[in-house]
Amino acid sequence: MRRMATSLVLAAALALCAGAALAAEVAQGRCIEYDTAAKTITIEEYDTNFGKSHPYGVSTGMVSTYDVKDAKIGLTPEPGDILRIAYEIHGDKRAALTAYYDALGNKRVAIKVMNVTKQSLHGK
Amino acid sequence: MELMADSSWLYMYMPIAGVHIFWPGLVLIGFSVGVIGGFFGMGGAWMVTPGLNILGFPMAFAIGTDIAHIAGKSMVSTMRHSKFGNVDYKLGVVMLAGTMVGIEIGAQLVMWLERLGQVGPVVRWVYVGFLAFIAWMVFYDYAKAVSNKRKGLSGQHGTEGVTWYKALHRINIPPMIHFRASGFTCSAWLPIMVSLVTGILAGFLGIGGGLLRMPALVYLIGCPTHVAVGTDLFEVMISGLYGAFTYTLKGRIEIVAVFVMLTGAAIGAQIGTVATKYSKGYGIRLAFGAAVLCCMLSIILKQVGYTQSAAALILTTIGVICLYIMKIMFVGAARELREKKAGTQIG
Amino acid sequence: MTKKLMLMAGLLGLDALLAPLARAAGGKASDLVVVADTRVLDSEILLYFANLYNTNIVLFAVWTVVLTAAYGCLLGVVMDKLMALTGLDLTSRKIVEH
Repeated sequence: MRRMATSLVLAAALALCAGAALAAEVAQGRCIEYDTAAKTITIEEYDTNFGKSHPYGVSTGMVSTYDVKDAKIGLTPEPGDILRIAYEIHGDKRAALTAYYDALGNKRVAIKVMNVTKQSLHGK
Repeated sequence: MELMADSSWLYMYMPIAGVHIFWPGLVLIGFSVGVIGGFFGMGGAWMVTPGLNILGFPMAFAIGTDIAHIAGKSMVSTMRHSKFGNVDYKLGVVMLAGTMVGIEIGAQLVMWLERLGQVGPVVRWVYVGFLAFIAWMVFYDYAKAVSNKRKGLSGQHGTEGVTWYKALHRINIPPMIHFRASGFTCSAWLPIMVSLVTGILAGFLGIGGGLLRMPALVYLIGCPTHVAVGTDLFEVMISGLYGAFTYTLKGRIEIVAVFVMLTGAAIGAQIGTVATKYSKGYGIRLAFGAAVLCCMLSIILKQVGYTQSAAALILTTIGVICLYIMKIMFVGAARELREKKAGTQIG
Repeated sequence: MTKKLMLMAGLLGLDALLAPLARAAGGKASDLVVVADTRVLDSEILLYFANLYNTNIVLFAVWTVVLTAAYGCLLGVVMDKLMALTGLDLTSRKIVEH
């Protein structure tokens, strides 16, 4: 009984925390450039139209760049690798001059970078 | 190609691992692990990690998911027994240190192997060795029971080996601790080392560890059997919860699969435990040993690249043994209810 | 006997470990990072958890443990009720331990 009460209290505490969870976007695509000096990754975005001949989706033609300064990066991305990136859009922090902004003035800050291509080669 | 499109509803998307999994297989594994574990009184988690891996989960995900489902299942049995029963809490707490450190070492080993890209083959081969050991144990036990019966000896468990713990209790490395509930004094390092080893195996293979911890508690540490049962359940619960936490932190868990399997396991466990009431004889142990060997074979098949055959073999094996136990349970239960009814009519 | 066997099993495991490691020793090793693909999820709940997995793994881990434990408790209670309904005598069964 006491355990149940404890878990209820915990669940309530979690529900409160839940509001604090940040929403992140996910993008997947072919790596064009991994600039280790500027700490940015540029990809050509793919859509979610998966198929036998295009298992990672079809190119949308859009190119986007991500700030990976604080990102957790898996196996080192190389041009041509399919990457999946979880990122946040920082729209109102124009102060940092080195950062990359798109046409709308938004900056994509990566949280995690997954190397889909290389990871699938890893022993399962 | 059309067949593939038609059968797509049989595949469920796992949001984190990002793989499509044959969900009837997932349900069958969960249910069977409940039935078989409930019936034989041991976790049965040894079939989950290989099973999940064969169904298509990357190895680290299979281990993490297995360990989380063990945590949930141990909660089910804890709730059902309302309390732990005979737990030597002092021993349990001392062992916790070893268990948790062991789990973490096991999990770190898995992550290290994953970085090297070797986690799949290594864990599979260790599993092959481990399952060979279990099968040997089961067959040895069976042979012993049969020969004892032939000699007219009663008692299911042999008495050999019972005195090892006496020698181990003599090891005099401080701190010496007296465990009142179990009724002995020994160096704290003995239970810590035992739990460390079982913990490493549990964390590495994604099992509860009871299979090794139970005999170790009885033969190496010298617990009375009833205390060993309760203390082991306590250890499994804590190690499962800690294992689930640490594997989730490492991002190697598929929560959807955990819930699917947990549901199946909870239902299956009822059937398994009730079936023990109606089961007689040792024949079923042979079936169990055979199932372990089939599971081992399917891991080898997966390792050499025959994933489809591996999946077919492991699912068929656990399906058949499951049906067999269900038959024991339904036949027995029907008879009991019939007799009860007849009894009340007479009375 | 058991101890010897455990030792043997351990050695077997060690052997299995060492062989591929010797091969892999030269290769570079970096952590694998997994990103849950939230683009393809429709369910709000799955979306929430997958998103949490990507952004706040600690909270996700706490959620997992709490939910698993709570669901386990719930199943335990429900199964107890269900088995009581069948009318089978469950108190006299022996506990098979192994």
